[in-house]
Amino acid sequence: MAFFKLFARNRGALIGLIILGVVTFLAATAHLFFPDDPFSLAGTPMSGPGQNGYLLGSDSLGRDVAAGIAHGAKTSLLIGLLATLVAVCVGIVMGALAGYHGGIIDNLLMRLTEMFQTIPSFIFAILLVAIMKPSIESIVIAIAVVSWPAVARLVRGEFLSLRNREFVQACHTLGMSDTRIILGEILPNCLSPVIVIGSLMVASAILIESGLAFLGLGDPNIMSWGFQIGAGRTLLRSAWWICTFPGIAILLTVLAINLVGEGINDALNPRLRERS
Amino acid sequence: MSFRNWAAAALWALGLLGGSLPAAAQEAGGTFVFIVQPEPPSLASYLSTSGPIGLVAPKIYDGLFDYDNDLNIVPALAESYDVSEDGKTVTFNLRQGVKWHDGEDFTSADVQFTVMEVLTQVHPRGPNTFREVTSIDTPDDYTAVFNLENPAPYMLRALSGYESPIVPKHLLEGEDLRSADLVNNPVGTGAYKFVEWRKGQFIRLDRNEDYWKPGLPYLDRVVGRIIPDASTRTAAIENGEVMYGAYGAIPNIDAVRLRDIDGFSVTTDGYSMINPMALIEFNTTTAPFDNPAMRQAMSLVVDREFLIENIWFGYGKPATSALSSNFAATGLYAEGQPYFPASGDVEAAIAILDAGGLTPDADGVRASFTLDLIPYGEDWRRAGEYLKQALQPLGVEVELRYEDVPTWIKRIYSDYDFQMNINYFYQLSDPVLGVHRQYATDQIRQGTAFVNSSRYSNPDLDVLLDSGAQEPDATVRAATYGEIQSILAEDLPVANIFEMEFLTVYNDKLKDHATSALGAYGPFDQAWIDD
Repeated sequence: MAFFKLFARNRGALIGLIILGVVTFLAATAHLFFPDDPFSLAGTPMSGPGQNGYLLGSDSLGRDVAAGIAHGAKTSLLIGLLATLVAVCVGIVMGALAGYHGGIIDNLLMRLTEMFQTIPSFIFAILLVAIMKPSIESIVIAIAVVSWPAVARLVRGEFLSLRNREFVQACHTLGMSDTRIILGEILPNCLSPVIVIGSLMVASAILIESGLAFLGLGDPNIMSWGFQIGAGRTLLRSAWWICTFPGIAILLTVLAINLVGEGINDALNPRLRERS
Repeated sequence: MSFRNWAAAALWALGLLGGSLPAAAQEAGGTFVFIVQPEPPSLASYLSTSGPIGLVAPKIYDGLFDYDNDLNIVPALAESYDVSEDGKTVTFNLRQGVKWHDGEDFTSADVQFTVMEVLTQVHPRGPNTFREVTSIDTPDDYTAVFNLENPAPYMLRALSGYESPIVPKHLLEGEDLRSADLVNNPVGTGAYKFVEWRKGQFIRLDRNEDYWKPGLPYLDRVVGRIIPDASTRTAAIENGEVMYGAYGAIPNIDAVRLRDIDGFSVTTDGYSMINPMALIEFNTTTAPFDNPAMRQAMSLVVDREFLIENIWFGYGKPATSALSSNFAATGLYAEGQPYFPASGDVEAAIAILDAGGLTPDADGVRASFTLDLIPYGEDWRRAGEYLKQALQPLGVEVELRYEDVPTWIKRIYSDYDFQMNINYFYQLSDPVLGVHRQYATDQIRQGTAFVNSSRYSNPDLDVLLDSGAQEPDATVRAATYGEIQSILAEDLPVANIFEMEFLTVYNDKLKDHATSALGAYGPFDQAWIDD
C-alpha cells in the first residue's frame, strides 16, 4: 500500500480519483438508470432542466440530456482507454526497438515519429477520420495514430539510458535473447513514466474524441459528449442546457484524469517522493 | 430626438420646400454586402448550378427573361417573343444596343452559341431544358429563332439569368469551356461587372455604367462576403456589416430570433422558381426497398410535422405528392394522394409491412439497412437521427452514415451503393425541369449527380412524362400530371417529405431586392439602400 499512501498524499489526485470513480460508475450503470436508447425521442423537445421530468433538460428532438451524458460517459471512457492502449503499445514497440538497437533502426524510426509529430495532431486526426468515414473504430485508430509518437520518444529515451547499464550487460553475457532483455529486463524498469504519460493520454484522447464529434465527425450511431455539444451548439442562446452539461462532464473528467495522472507521477517518481 | 433624426427631419423639410425629394426616392450609390456561403467553386453559372454560384453570377450574366414574383415573364435580353401555332418555332426579338462588359456588342450569335454550344453541352440541366431544340436560326443580329422537335412550353420558364445565362461567344468560342478564363473572370451583360475575387474573403462587383436598363442599377458596388462560420454570419447581419443572407446562410434558429428585432426582416419569398423538396431516395433494385410496401411504410411513418417544427423551426410544409403544392398555381399539382400523412401513421405502416410480406424475425426485426444523410449540415443529421428512432417501432433497424460531399455523391449517383438516402431536390419552375430527372428511365445516368438514383423504371410512366413535357394544352397537361402523381404515390421510388422553405434574412435598409421570382439568384438591378 506504499504506492497508495504516496498517491494519497496528493489531495488533488484523491479528488480526481473520486470524480473518475463517479464517471466510471455512471458509465457502468447507464443501462440501469437510463434503460432506453439515449437517442430515443423521449418527449417534449427543448424542455429545460427539471421540466417535464427531465433532470437536465431535453434537446431539440426531445432526447434526454442526462441519458446522453450517462451513455456518453461510456463512449468517452471506452475510446479514451482503447486509443491510449493502442498508442502505448505501438509507442513502446517503436521506442524500444529504436532505443535498444540504435544506429540505422533508431534513425529510421525516429525520422518516422518526427514525421508524425510535425503534423498538428488534431488536424491529422480530422483528416484520418474523414478519410476512413466516421465510426468508433476509425476514431480509435485516428487518436492512436496521432498519440503514439510521444510514447515512442519517451520509451526510446529510457532505453537509451538503460541499455548500457551493468545489469543489461550482465544479461548479454548470460546469452539472453534481445527480446527477453527488452521485455523482461529493460521494459519493467521504464514503465513508470509510461504509465504516467498513458494516464494523461486518456484525457487528451477524450478531448480529441469530443472535438471530432463536435465537428460532426463522430460515429453518428453512438452517443457521446462531443456529439451532444455539437448538436446543441446552434441552440446555445435559446437552450443553454444542451451543451452546458456535457461540457461540464468533459471538463470534470479530463480534469480528474489529469489529477490522477499527476498523483501517479508523484507516487512512481522516486525523485519526487520527498516532495510535500 | 437624436442629432441624426434632427438632421433627417431637416433634410425632409428642405425637401418639402424644394419639392425635389419624393417621399421614397430610390437613392443611388452605396455598397451592398451580402453573404456567399459556401465559397463558390467558380463563377461559371453555365457549367454548374451550385448554389453559391447562383448568388453571384446572375448579377453579372443576364438571361433572355426574368420573372416577376407572380412568375410572369419579364423581358430581359429578349424584348419580346413569339411561339408559332404548332408550338415548334419560338422566335426571340433581342434587345438592341446591349454591350458585354468588355465593350463588344451582344447579338443573336451569342444566344445561338450559348444554347447550342454551351448550355446543351455542359450545363447540368441544360440538356433537359433545351432537349427539343434542334437548331437556332439567326436571320439578323437581333432575332433568334429556336426550331423545336416538339413543343416545349416549360422551356420559357427556364430562361432566367440563373438557369440559362447568356454567355459571350467571342470569349468562349474555340476555348475549353471548363477551363476558359471566363470561368473565374465572368464577362456578362448584367447590372454589375466582375472586379475581384479574393479567395476565402469576398467577391466584388461594380456598377455597370452601360447597363441596358436606363438609370439602373442604383448600387455602386456589390460585395459577396464569404463567411464560413454560421454564428459569425449571424453576427455580421446583426451588426450591420452584411445586409443580406439567403439559402440558409443564417440558421433558422437565428433567423427566428432576428425576425423579432427591429431593423431586420425574414422572408420565404424568392424561392418559388426553386421549389426545394426534402425527400428520401430508395434504392429500388435491392432488398428491402425493391418491395413497394417497404417504401410506402417509410412514407407513412415519417412525422413530417415533427421534423418541420423541431428541426426547421416551423418553416416548411408537409409534402403530399410527388409534386410540390406550389405547382397548384399552374394546375399541375394533384392533391389527395395516399401514403402522405402529415404527422405519421405507425399502425398503417405496420399493416402495410405485414401485408407486403415483411414480417418480423425472431428478434422482432423486419429489416435493417444503412441510411445515408446528405452532408449539407446539422439539420440533415438531426433528420437522420429522428428517422432512425421513428423506424424502431416498425422493427426496422437503421445505421446512419454521414460522409463528405464528394464521397456521398459518388456513393449515391455513381456506385449506387446505398439503400436509403435523405436528400433534397429543386423541383424548379416546371416538373419537366426539376421532377422528371428523378423518375424517368432515361434519367438513370450513372455518374451524373441529382438524377434518378433509385433506378426506378416504369415504361408507362415514361410515356406519361414525355406527353406531359410536350402537351401545350393546360387542361390535358394537368390531367397527365394527375395520372403521373397517382402512379408515383403508389410506387414511391422517392418519398417526398416536406416542401422546404428557405429563409432570407435582410437588413430593412435594403429596398427592392425581391423584384424577381428568383430572389437571391436574381439580378438585383433595382435594389437600393435607404440610409
